[in-house]
Amino acid sequence: MHVPDVELYEAHTMDEAFDLLGRHTGARILAGGTDLLVDLKAGRVSATSLISIKRVDSLKQICLQDGNLCIGSLTTITELDESSLVRERFPSLIDATSRMAAPQVRNAATVGGNVVSAVPCADLPPVLLVLNASVVAKSAEKERVIPLDSFFIQVRKTALLPGEVLTSIIVPEPPVRFGAAYARFSLREGNSIAVAGVAVGMRLGAGGEVESARVALGAVSPTPIVVEEAGRLLAGCKLDDEVSSRVSERAMERCNPICDVRGSADFRREIVGVLTKRALKTARQRAGGMES
Amino acid sequence: MIVSRTLTVNGQSYPVAVAASETLLDVLRDKIALTGTKKGCNVGDCGACLVMVDGQTMNSCLLLATEMEGKSITTIEGIAQNGVLTPLQRAFVQEGGVQCGYCTPGMVLSATALLERNSDPSKEEIKAALAGNLCRCTGYTGIIRSVERCKNYREDGTCAKRDEPAGKPASGNGRPDLGGAAGGSVGGSVGVSVPRVDAVDKVTGRAEYTADLSFQNMVYAKILGSPIAHGRIKKIDTSKARALPGVLDILTADDVPDTMYGVSPARYDEHILAKDKVRHHGDEVAAVAAIDEKTAERAVALIEVEYEELPVVLNPMEAMAEGAPQVHERYERNINTHVDHKFGDVEGGFAQSAHVREEVFTGNTIYQCPMEPHASIAMWDPDGTLVLYSSTQVPHYVQYMMAHVLHMPLGKIRVIRPTVGGGFGGKAETTPLDICAALFSRRLGRPVKMIYSREEMFLHGRGRHKQHMHFKIGVDSEGRIQSFSSKIYLDGGAYSSFGVATAYYAGSVIPTLYKIPAYKYDGYRVMTNKPASGAMRGHGVPQPRFAFECLLNMIADDLGIDPVEIRWRNSIDPNTLTVNEMEVGSCEFRATLEASAKKSNWNEKWGKLPLGKGIGIASGGFVSGAGYCIYRGQVQLSHEKPREPFVKKSIFPHANAIVKISEDGMAAILLIGAAEIGQGSDTVLTQMCAHSLGIPMDRMRIRSEDSDISPLDLGSYSSRVTLMAGHAVSRAGEAVFEKMKPYAARLLDCDEASVTAQNARVFVQGDDSRSVPWEEVARKYFNENGPLVGTGCYKPPDGLGGDYKGSTVGTSPAYSFGTAICEVSVDLETGKIKIDHFTDYHDCGTPINPLAVHGQVEGAVAMGASETIFEDVQFDEKGLLQNHNLHGYLMMSIMDAPEIFSGLVDSYEPRGPFGAKEIGEGSTLPVLGAVAHAIANATGVWIKDLPITPEKVLKALREKKSATAEKVASS
Repeated sequence: MHVPDVELYEAHTMDEAFDLLGRHTGARILAGGTDLLVDLKAGRVSATSLISIKRVDSLKQICLQDGNLCIGSLTTITELDESSLVRERFPSLIDATSRMAAPQVRNAATVGGNVVSAVPCADLPPVLLVLNASVVAKSAEKERVIPLDSFFIQVRKTALLPGEVLTSIIVPEPPVRFGAAYARFSLREGNSIAVAGVAVGMRLGAGGEVESARVALGAVSPTPIVVEEAGRLLAGCKLDDEVSSRVSERAMERCNPICDVRGSADFRREIVGVLTKRALKTARQRAGGMES
Repeated sequence: MIVSRTLTVNGQSYPVAVAASETLLDVLRDKIALTGTKKGCNVGDCGACLVMVDGQTMNSCLLLATEMEGKSITTIEGIAQNGVLTPLQRAFVQEGGVQCGYCTPGMVLSATALLERNSDPSKEEIKAALAGNLCRCTGYTGIIRSVERCKNYREDGTCAKRDEPAGKPASGNGRPDLGGAAGGSVGGSVGVSVPRVDAVDKVTGRAEYTADLSFQNMVYAKILGSPIAHGRIKKIDTSKARALPGVLDILTADDVPDTMYGVSPARYDEHILAKDKVRHHGDEVAAVAAIDEKTAERAVALIEVEYEELPVVLNPMEAMAEGAPQVHERYERNINTHVDHKFGDVEGGFAQSAHVREEVFTGNTIYQCPMEPHASIAMWDPDGTLVLYSSTQVPHYVQYMMAHVLHMPLGKIRVIRPTVGGGFGGKAETTPLDICAALFSRRLGRPVKMIYSREEMFLHGRGRHKQHMHFKIGVDSEGRIQSFSSKIYLDGGAYSSFGVATAYYAGSVIPTLYKIPAYKYDGYRVMTNKPASGAMRGHGVPQPRFAFECLLNMIADDLGIDPVEIRWRNSIDPNTLTVNEMEVGSCEFRATLEASAKKSNWNEKWGKLPLGKGIGIASGGFVSGAGYCIYRGQVQLSHEKPREPFVKKSIFPHANAIVKISEDGMAAILLIGAAEIGQGSDTVLTQMCAHSLGIPMDRMRIRSEDSDISPLDLGSYSSRVTLMAGHAVSRAGEAVFEKMKPYAARLLDCDEASVTAQNARVFVQGDDSRSVPWEEVARKYFNENGPLVGTGCYKPPDGLGGDYKGSTVGTSPAYSFGTAICEVSVDLETGKIKIDHFTDYHDCGTPINPLAVHGQVEGAVAMGASETIFEDVQFDEKGLLQNHNLHGYLMMSIMDAPEIFSGLVDSYEPRGPFGAKEIGEGSTLPVLGAVAHAIANATGVWIKDLPITPEKVLKALREKKSATAEKVASS
């Protein structure tokens, strides 16, 4: 099991990267490599050339811009996980980063890769969805912002156009009384893959009722999905057990899991129900709502 | 595209020419010759290839070497400075953090990185840091102990918490100076927790496994496996593969000897490469030798094979049905082995039972998953001797089988077993790698290296048989067993492998624990279109033992008897001849029950835990070495041997040792072919030999790896090494000392009978003031006689076993006993199981090395627990493997492993060396049942098919709920 013969080009700036992309049609962008190299070895992906952007320093940053969190696509999962800014303001991202894969994978794997690979079981996309995140896609000619809602098309397929590179992820500043959480189920604790993941983001009104909410699911459909009806079910309600059950039932209906070595579709659906309730509860606590 | 790069590894610059596609792992191993970085899975699942890049841990299999210029790379070879181990490395040596050593480099690096950023990590932080490093041997317990010992170590290499001396340079033979504990400086070397003799090599990356070796002019080969599970080979076209530049040779069935081989002589049913038919996904069809592994791999993909697909049969019950697809013509209704055993009045026993319960249990398909993949390197000496380096746990049987396949005398085959990274039964037979490498090498006149990928290991198979078990136990009103019957269908896969023995073992070792007056066992090992099942830790017994222990616990519940008590009431006595005529000698089973119940506070917990928390118990035991050799007759080419009637005695000694004393008397070299595969046999054999010689361990070296150097030992299977090889080495030591006695008597001016030795002093018994240095006596012997050499050997006792068919399987000189108590937490909403704690007590006779014994128990507990709740090789409806990798097939990680208390009870086995019995396999046996019982206790539902997954837990809970609702509704 070897990586097939490829040409590798290392870009030091985005301009170089675009230049290389222009000259090598069909080239794949190589960042952390923890997905791509496995896919190349297994023959799931074929490429004659790789363009490494690992040395493009401008893509490695976590910062606040006008209150929005800007995560450079080359930020590693470990860097995101250890960011005090993220830990303080976006604990739901830590719910994901702290349990993804293994430490040595998190040290190499990038945030951009976790999003752009569009692998169904990726952990960050559902969280980013409930945080209303967007991605910045750059090409030699222009830059555009794509809401994450419309980013994932199919398994391993995104809205990125040929020649575009995902350069950063923008997470808008959360409003007051906002809380988000990610609940994840895996069969094993160490070096694990999500069997199902549910992210919830909610904003409470002054009276503790839910003002708006989003529920997103991972690993239970070809792409991460937002359970649209969940927001409607929650809006205006105090989050009690009954509402929580209704939302979790809706999430179970909405998901479209497969049967595979990690579990049957029915099992995954059942887990989605449990995780939804758990994520709702944590999100509400983080939003400052009282324990119901 | 080849580019020049300068890599900085361990502070040193290495200019290398690398292809863009080469991983850092391959470049480190193949171009910089730093082979301490291991290849375990090659896709980031196992952590064996972990290195530090600018201080951050990463899997080197997922990094391209061309991108590494300017980075500071640290491998395991760069951890110890100037031969001085770091405190962490020393801790791994001393705390049993090392067994087979294959995961060790990655573990040490992960832990080093942790301690560099957090000098005082909690246990949870340690586990989180090592979550991506899989270990199959230690149960992670020794590893956690090692890291905990190193908290707060100072820059100067001392530890703030425990004031340890700084590391001393590793001495020439690789053994560190560990002070008083090692070497038996007080008294003898037996019964002492000394570190492994190979531990320093393993924590520094110096230990060489087969895949780490390279030879001049060496080439590589790969095997093409079948993409379908059952089919006829219509045509093989190798022309495209042959045309690929770099391809040197191709083998198909037409090019290899038309000799069937296997494990059980009565069932040699494997072709070297598939002839006419493929019988399972991965069945070996052709092989290619090329200038490098990648070219061989590409060439294999270019071989075109035309198959006529045949219907598949994937479970034994269906395979036995009339009209089912035949896997082999020779096995009618696909039945490979049928066992029909009946002892005592079974029907009468059930008739007089106050309570009879019958249940069906199903096991799972378990793969051993040693961290080191199988590897072989073959070359031929000019005189026609085959030299075969093989990652094997049975060098002698490999030699025997190679002789059979190649029609050569065994004496012309030299098998070398380099360091082996775990076996667990998965390396207990000759592989197509061994044979194809030898054939290619003969054709090409060059050394040939072959390695299985992780996927190929699963496809080759030989894992634990999945068993379908119908069990029935009858007891009197007090829970005393009156009768027991079992019917078992074993899923054999496509070839016999060890299966004949497995089918017998599944029945024969059950009655060694409890008084069972009447016993019936009906066993069918059946061929299916899956990779062959073979022998795995506890050979054939763990699943039936799981079923038996579960059923016994159910019966205890039915009768309101405490599960500890029902075991006590049924436990056998020492010196018992079981109903199936197994001779049990020493037996401290009851002591294991008593101690584990006490230690775990069983009485305070049983029946008193809240829903979701559970405690469970099971017991188990195993043979201390098979009573008979796998093949009949003497050591000789099989087709030359006349077929003689079976006699109940060993034809030749199963373990043989030579001790050779250096001419100055300062070193003893122990030669024995016993296979160190990570379990610690080199260490305990050295201990026993040192003890019988009367010298400290640091005067000894062991050579066990080379059949040219070391005499025959049958190998590491059936938990036989401590008892059998232990006798051989201690007898060889005694033989040396016997030769020294006359010279000692002369020097000491006493009679020979009163001469004794300890700690390198020879003295008059009862008067140690009259002594001479051991080496002085040895020199005196040499001066007059030449080489001072002693030999020792061991044959199992004659007459073991009954006179019925299959009576040899399960016989042993001695049996072990153990009890495990498991505590779990179950998330009743998701079904997820957390195995919290294990309390295990084992009767292993005299523990030769308690540290090694506990290491075996800890590893067995984690492995057994893992197979109870996680592991299962899965197939689709066409028989294709679905999870033949380490992210789909789940081995327990350090995050999932339980806390383990391992205890030993006082015991002495008269038939064992120094009173010792087995530990390695027997310690697996109680585990499965204890986990299942604890889960039942936590959830109120029994799950009788393995593995006990969250999905099955939820299903069972739902079924129970609806059954209860129905009951309420109908009443």
